[in-house]
Amino acid sequence: MIEVVDLTKSFPISRQQRREQAAAGPPAPGAAPAPGAAGASSLQAVAGASFRCLPGRVFALLGPNGAGKTTVLRMIATLLRPDGGRISIAGVDALADPVAARRRLGFLTGSTKLYERLTAEENVRYAADLHGVGAADYKRRRDALFAALGIDAYAGRRAGQLSTGMKQKVAIARTIIHDPEVVVFDEATSGLDVIAARAIIQLIQDCRARGKTVLFSTHIMSEVTMLADDLAVVHRGRLLAMGGLEEVLARAVDERGQRRTLEDEFVRLVDAAEEVRT
Amino acid sequence: MSSPALVVFRKELRDTLRDRRTLIAMVVVPLLLFPLLMVGMAKFSQSRAAEARDKTLAVAVADAEAGAGRGSGLADFLRHEPGLEITEVQDVMALPERVRTEELDAAIVIPAGYAAAVAAHQPAPLQLLHKSSDDFDIPRTRLEQTLARFEQKLLEERLRGLGIEPRSIDPLDIQRTDVVSSRELFGKLLGGLLPYMFIIFCFTGGMYPAIDLAAGEKERGTLETLLSSPASRLQITLGKFAVVTLTGFTSALLATVGMYVSVQSVSGIPPAVLAAVQSVLAPGTIALVLALLLPLSVFFAGLLLMLSLYARSYKEAMSIISPLMIVVVVPAAIALAPGVRLGVATALVPVLNVSLATREIIAGTAEPLHLALVFASLLLLAAGSMVACARWFSREDIVFRS
Repeated sequence: MIEVVDLTKSFPISRQQRREQAAAGPPAPGAAPAPGAAGASSLQAVAGASFRCLPGRVFALLGPNGAGKTTVLRMIATLLRPDGGRISIAGVDALADPVAARRRLGFLTGSTKLYERLTAEENVRYAADLHGVGAADYKRRRDALFAALGIDAYAGRRAGQLSTGMKQKVAIARTIIHDPEVVVFDEATSGLDVIAARAIIQLIQDCRARGKTVLFSTHIMSEVTMLADDLAVVHRGRLLAMGGLEEVLARAVDERGQRRTLEDEFVRLVDAAEEVRT
Repeated sequence: MSSPALVVFRKELRDTLRDRRTLIAMVVVPLLLFPLLMVGMAKFSQSRAAEARDKTLAVAVADAEAGAGRGSGLADFLRHEPGLEITEVQDVMALPERVRTEELDAAIVIPAGYAAAVAAHQPAPLQLLHKSSDDFDIPRTRLEQTLARFEQKLLEERLRGLGIEPRSIDPLDIQRTDVVSSRELFGKLLGGLLPYMFIIFCFTGGMYPAIDLAAGEKERGTLETLLSSPASRLQITLGKFAVVTLTGFTSALLATVGMYVSVQSVSGIPPAVLAAVQSVLAPGTIALVLALLLPLSVFFAGLLLMLSLYARSYKEAMSIISPLMIVVVVPAAIALAPGVRLGVATALVPVLNVSLATREIIAGTAEPLHLALVFASLLLLAAGSMVACARWFSREDIVFRS
């Protein structure tokens, strides 16, 4: 399980960013200064996010680019330290014991690449060694994973010589070789072709079937409707809506009583949030 | 099961040893290219010098007062000197151009008044035209030696004409004995050059791995995966640090091996110099020099990794680190300047202290107190660089700089 309570994170703004904001002008009269607006010295990337991802369910973090999804996931993966709030990974306080939290976590991003001079096997073995997987466990998991992903024949080949699809499969094997309880995907299908993206989608479904807690971020609606059990809509670091997929869709009804699509509901939520800001 | 730092070290070492750029900088250049250049340059210089020494010099003699030179015996003297081909010419004006275009190796102009000056026991004017940019200036040296012998002959004749025994004008017969050992001489003359070379290889050997292990990993997107593993930032830093240190140190070590091999393979080195080189390359001396280079490699590793991690890409890291080479080269080169010695103050200046201490060690004149100071300051610097690097790896604004 992943439990996130009142998570906040801000980043200092560089001098150049401040100059750009000053050039853009002050906020509208009566409006509260937006995070990172002219005069602000920091950018509030995440503001009071709270949600819970349950084992055996897939939680989607849906938001436009720059919404703060990656920041949230990086804090869960203990790559970034939050300014405030709590994170629990499979019962471990991630802020108090980040190493123990990372042992229970698999993290895959769309931009993750392999070590090109190492073979596929060496890439996966490296991850296993870092997670302290014993030799016997490694062999068992490696054999099962390589067979399931169809990469056994390429195990001895250097990663730089593999196709994009093969590389993605090796990256998947590397992410779950230590059999983590929690798997986090940060826009993992972004920029991939259909075949490679399908491998990720299949992995998410498998993880759910095996009782893992799965959290993934995306801006692709079809992935959410296909995969998510629960979802949260994020915009400018704030959660605009949250709940089960069916529950969110059930609430999405227009003035005439007609149900909106997820995409329409997402756009409505984001537009409403922007109107409040200005 | 291994410690995560060891896991990182093993992986990074394997990855680094498969990188062609690193292998060239770490192994090929210090071990092969440098010795080959040394041997090649030495052979070339030797052959050019030998050629200039042995060749017959084409020398023109222009006598303004026809017969004056002959009268003093200069032309005859020159004609009987071995290795000179003397031609008598009239056109004095054309001589500078003929020497400049190397038609002639040199020319001697006997101006008007020469014969009168010789006869009056006055200094006789004589002009020597030569071109110093060629053949190590050997033609000029050879001609000057020849003329000095002729001058000595004239002097002795004048003294005898005055009834003075030439030997009686030398009141002192000084016997010189240089007590410098061949090792010390070699150490002072060339000892400054060797640490300069070692320091450069220490730096360049670690440069490519440092860039690949931090900026390269950032650019490839593998750093996030590594940081989300159970390895702590300190363990990751230690693993990477050890690889960069090892490659820098290995590069300097291979440069030593390369130098030894090249010295052995160059023929024609005088036995005294060869003996001095072999005494310099004695295990004790090498061990001391390498002991200095180890903390220096650690210092460089910290510095290189920090800069590399700060960069957003491999290219940016290269552009940041390349100018740093000058910062390293300058203190190393200062040690080559005459009068700069290892003392309490210079023992505390990074890079310069290694350069000076290595020179003193090679010459066999190192003071234990100064060496201890150098070691202490280097160890402090190395420890500081490790701590700073580990902290750098923990800074979000550096690791995720975009």
